[in-house]
Amino acid sequence: YDQCLFSYQGQGRNPKKSLFLVILCSVATSNKSVTKDVTMPAKLPVNFFSTRSPVIDLFRGQLDYADHLRQDSEIVLYFFYAPWCGQSIAAREEIEHVASRLSDQVLFVAVNCWWNQGKCRKQKHFFYFPVIHLYHRSFGPIEYKGPMSAVYIEKFVRRVMTPLLYISSRSKLLDFLSNYEPGVLGYFEFNASPQPPGYLTFFTSALHSLKKDYLGTIRFGVITDKRVAEEISLVRSGSVYLHRHVNTSLIYPNDIMNYTAENICKWALENREMLIRWLRPHGGKSLLLNNELKKGPALLIFIPYNPLSEIHPLLDEITKVALEYHNCNKSQAAEPDLQHLGDTDSPAFDSSVPDAHMKLSETFSITKYPCCNTVVLPQWHSISRTHNVCELCINQTLGVKPNKVHVPHCNFLEIEAALDSFYLQEHTFFQVISNTIECSNFLSFYSPFSYYTACCRTVNRHFLSFISSEKTIFQTPKVAFSSHGKKGNTQHSIPHIEDRNCFIPDLHITGTNITGLSCRTNKTLNLYLLDSNLFWIYAERLGASRSTHLKEFAAIVDLKEEVHYVLDQNRSLVGPTLENFIKNFSILYSPLKRHLVDDPSVHFHEQRVITEVTTNTFHDTVFLSEKNVLLLYYAQWCGFCASLNHIFIQLARLLPPDNFTVARIDTTQNDLPWEFMTDRLPTILFFPHQRKEQSVKFPEDISVNLPNLLKFILHHSRLSSSEPCTKECLHKETVLQQGHISHLEREIQKLRSEISALHQAHDQLEAQLSEARREEHRLQQQKHALEKQHKTLQLHSERLQATYDQKNQELLEMAEKLQELADASENLLKENTLLRILVASREGRLQSKDEIKESLQSEQTLSEENDISVSTATATLEEKRIDNIDTIETEHSSGNRTE
Amino acid sequence: MLPLNHDKYSWYQILFLPIFFNGILTVHLPVVGGLLSAHLLSKKAGVEVEVGWPCSGPLLRMAEEAARKLLPAFQTPTGMPYGTVNLLHGVNPGETPVTCTAGIGTFIVEFATLSHLTGDPVFEDVARKALKALWKNRSDIGLVGNHIDVITAKWVAQDAGIGAGVDSYFEYLVKGAILLQDKELMSMFLEYNKAIKNYTKFDDWYLWVQMYKGTVSMPVFQSLEAYWPGLQSLIGDVDNAMRTFLNYYTVWKQFGGLPEFYNIPQGYTVDKREGYPLRPELIESAMYLYRATRDPTLLELGRDAVESIEKISKVDCGFATIKDLRDHRLDNRMESFFLAETVKYLYLLFDPDNFIHNDGSVFDVVITPYGECVLNAGGYIFNTEAHPIDPAALHCCRKRKEEQWEVEDLMREFYSLKKNKKFTLKRASDHGEGERAKDPEDAPSEKGGEKRNFKKSSHSLLSCPSQSFNSKLAVLGQVFLDNT
Repeated sequence: YDQCLFSYQGQGRNPKKSLFLVILCSVATSNKSVTKDVTMPAKLPVNFFSTRSPVIDLFRGQLDYADHLRQDSEIVLYFFYAPWCGQSIAAREEIEHVASRLSDQVLFVAVNCWWNQGKCRKQKHFFYFPVIHLYHRSFGPIEYKGPMSAVYIEKFVRRVMTPLLYISSRSKLLDFLSNYEPGVLGYFEFNASPQPPGYLTFFTSALHSLKKDYLGTIRFGVITDKRVAEEISLVRSGSVYLHRHVNTSLIYPNDIMNYTAENICKWALENREMLIRWLRPHGGKSLLLNNELKKGPALLIFIPYNPLSEIHPLLDEITKVALEYHNCNKSQAAEPDLQHLGDTDSPAFDSSVPDAHMKLSETFSITKYPCCNTVVLPQWHSISRTHNVCELCINQTLGVKPNKVHVPHCNFLEIEAALDSFYLQEHTFFQVISNTIECSNFLSFYSPFSYYTACCRTVNRHFLSFISSEKTIFQTPKVAFSSHGKKGNTQHSIPHIEDRNCFIPDLHITGTNITGLSCRTNKTLNLYLLDSNLFWIYAERLGASRSTHLKEFAAIVDLKEEVHYVLDQNRSLVGPTLENFIKNFSILYSPLKRHLVDDPSVHFHEQRVITEVTTNTFHDTVFLSEKNVLLLYYAQWCGFCASLNHIFIQLARLLPPDNFTVARIDTTQNDLPWEFMTDRLPTILFFPHQRKEQSVKFPEDISVNLPNLLKFILHHSRLSSSEPCTKECLHKETVLQQGHISHLEREIQKLRSEISALHQAHDQLEAQLSEARREEHRLQQQKHALEKQHKTLQLHSERLQATYDQKNQELLEMAEKLQELADASENLLKENTLLRILVASREGRLQSKDEIKESLQSEQTLSEENDISVSTATATLEEKRIDNIDTIETEHSSGNRTE
Repeated sequence: MLPLNHDKYSWYQILFLPIFFNGILTVHLPVVGGLLSAHLLSKKAGVEVEVGWPCSGPLLRMAEEAARKLLPAFQTPTGMPYGTVNLLHGVNPGETPVTCTAGIGTFIVEFATLSHLTGDPVFEDVARKALKALWKNRSDIGLVGNHIDVITAKWVAQDAGIGAGVDSYFEYLVKGAILLQDKELMSMFLEYNKAIKNYTKFDDWYLWVQMYKGTVSMPVFQSLEAYWPGLQSLIGDVDNAMRTFLNYYTVWKQFGGLPEFYNIPQGYTVDKREGYPLRPELIESAMYLYRATRDPTLLELGRDAVESIEKISKVDCGFATIKDLRDHRLDNRMESFFLAETVKYLYLLFDPDNFIHNDGSVFDVVITPYGECVLNAGGYIFNTEAHPIDPAALHCCRKRKEEQWEVEDLMREFYSLKKNKKFTLKRASDHGEGERAKDPEDAPSEKGGEKRNFKKSSHSLLSCPSQSFNSKLAVLGQVFLDNT
């Protein structure tokens, strides 16, 4: 509120001048404060790390000592912190953790770079804390800008420790090349001199790349063996090779560019291949996602990632998909990598192959069922997170008997028809949440001769891999069939079938193939990885379940179209599912459904006045209910919505609950299908009973209040009810009237309570009134008393007046007496002067008689005596006068007082 | 002075005594706002209230009395109030007519509440008149300066920005619009907002410009400006709010607090203005934004604030103002807003289930002699000193009998047997202006409201835009450019 923080005196034309003025004035105003100059210096710095910690804590910011320490160790990590900084405090533990693991190889130095007496603060100028700098011998500082998590820091430190990987054998080379991260290899022969020419530069360039690219996505390796080098056709010692999976690999052009560390690093960064990228937002303001997602639709894959672990089977699998996806020209170069991946890296893949074969053999034993298809019921309907899987079979009762000779018993159209019928009847199935298989038969909508059997059961995610392979079984014949005339793509236009096309590897050629899909489709995806340990919040925002313990999630985000698709979280995130996900996105009539995020925290409360609607309950509450529905779109943060709460509560309490539902939906937490979205909040829609499709919007320019809302509802709920009154109508009216009665009863109750409130108020007022009366009485009494007092006082004052007069009289008398005295004293004074003259004349006479001394001896003594007596007389006279004045004064003042 | 000799309300004296000590001569809004808020919350706090509550009560009477003492200040030719008023004698004869913009425009929330609760429209009227006078005196490019002469309506300080001197003016335009569902106030704010965006916004910072020419006069960020993102989030401009907030957060990370002035191009504090008196603005914004985005970054700021307050400013007898953020020297004072606002907002940031954040799922019903009221249904409006005011209370006391009867008539209509169509007409004639024009749209053949919405270019001013798709991913510091 302190709005007038600074006051202006004038406005200079020069902006600098005006600033100066402002400061001057504000200083002048702040000087008013008395306590102004009493300040206290900041507390002295204390230990930030415990003394037992492996981290050396220079909490007084001794940067010079820190530099001194650096000389002793090959690798040094500096942790510059500010003791008040939350981030520094949070990172402290992580650093300690890393330090405890690497303390024998790396020196960890923490420096307080905040204390203003310290060297560090004086020399360095940081905009944020903590700052981590690494030194590899004299090379540095390499700033670490990655996540403040121990594993990531440790990984980075390790990369600084060994910026170059030593590639000693062919298998190591294949390992190196198969990695999804771009790799740079240098070939140096170490036989001639202690260090071959250019090796140091290459080494520095590896360190340099860490400086540029803290995520360390370019790996550097060194080959010393000639035979290994020949594998990638490097023959000359000192040549540098950038490996690329899809495009042809490059060799550093020594002749065009200078062979310096910076140049190598730049060259590698510019030419590297980014098939799949890690996204690691650093937490500060950044446009990372904006820039990446604006490039086009993106597949975001969330996996838990431990940078320290040696093998990443899931990551390898995803890499394989990414490689396949980008592998447009089917270059042979990619092949060995892929094989290598398949052979060694992923045990998951290894086991899956025989598994699939085993299932394949099973296929033929199960196909005794005439014609079946497995359908996974869509998420939209299922209340729980479990999956309902139904096995749909066609049984033909009449007509052509199914041909038992050929494997494909049923044709594609039949399956399609069965599915259609199944989806129409779907609601009868989705209540089934049990582990037992329940079967039911229903008739075909198209053919009177067939009926279908659907056996449904609930499975949780552990079963899913099994089921997906089982699905394959039923899929196989169909794909073979459909590939005759139709394009494989069209089958995907049928909803939900995407769940079953888990191709057996052998059938790759016939179906949609992922290999090189990125070049064939016009909806090219960019692939991104996110570590779900750090960035799971994005997954949650896109609709990942909060409860799941396995943090794996994949979603395709199309920023331009404002849609995103989610890979069913109940299916494990493996290569084939991911491939299908990509394929389903790429084809023309994509079967993927826009994912609608809903708010899982909302629970249905019967007793709530206003029904809280979510994405999942929207359809049921609004369209399936037999009531008129008034729906408010709101958001908690929107001020205009929140201040309307009380109006809607009042409305909901007024409207008869049997006919009306007042509902609301938080649009921030709940997505809705496009046709029900609004672009402004609050928005009020009314869905009249029986004409739910004709929703009406409350006009925006009319103020939202109770009467207006009631009129709006009344107007729109009335329009259709002009049909003649039937029995049903009569019944309705009775119900209505009953509602009315109860409403009136409520009304009466309300009035009663109002009356009681009024009574209370009345009582209170009465009490106040009587209180006031009593007060008045008391006041009156007081008044009487005061009057009495007044009278006595008046008497008193009269008496005083009399005494005053008397005194005055006395005073006058006294004054007269005084006058007399004064006159007397004047006479005395006169006498006195006369006496003086007498004395003077006598003295004159004495002087004349001076010569005749002897005769006048006796006379002299006499005159002296006379003199003394005269002076004493004057003194007594004067004293008397002063006394007189005093008494006058005192009497005068006493007179004053009596007045 | 105000009467304090009611022994019954000693608790209240303890609450508000410091304000009286400070403001023997100058009492601004804090008293009125604090009294009103305490009045409206007194029932929730367990105080036994009188029957007429919330339309009457001892605290309300005191607030009214205090506000009446302020009324003489508004008696100027322009309607804009003096900055200072003597509670005993009114405006001093030699009083300076120069008042800062915020001092003129920071009345509407308290005064309108007071008018609605007491039924005396004088308070709301003077507050509105002052707001309109400011609006009339804005520059050609739509900006207001820092200080104005309330007699001559000449701008004394012509720096335009969003911080010190004007901050709560903009704040109250928005909050007044929300509280009163008032389109006029909102349209004023939106016009200002446009001008502010055009002239003062650079790279999500807001600078100070000359109010007539729009040239940059000071490239500084003031600690007081940090309320702006919170305000933006209230009207639904969440992504812009977040972008600006992240800028301000970088300043916090640099110093462990927000300096009064921060020179943006230099990236450092401004001389003599490097203090941080534990102001609440940034934390306030974090609280509002957390409601909208649930972004953990906002909680991180909260953590940083707690750490800073604990580590830097804690002294034996309280939490001291940081005199200089460069070395964390402390001043011998603790500001009142630290307890009243900073700590409050910090608490609310970390307590999403607090009743203040009520989203309308719970409410109280209060029977008054004037009728039934729904109260405490959320949507609390904080005044500029962080005193919450329940918007529902405003509709409780002034509910005219006609409205109640109208509602009763309408309810009778609901239950009536006759299906008369008279009603359409009635409705159309009921809302005077502009309503008739829209009548054809109410025809039953019209499908849905959404389509109509596209035809009309304008939308209600009293609404927020829905959040865009990319807001799902706009957390942990990620921001997105234009949402077209």
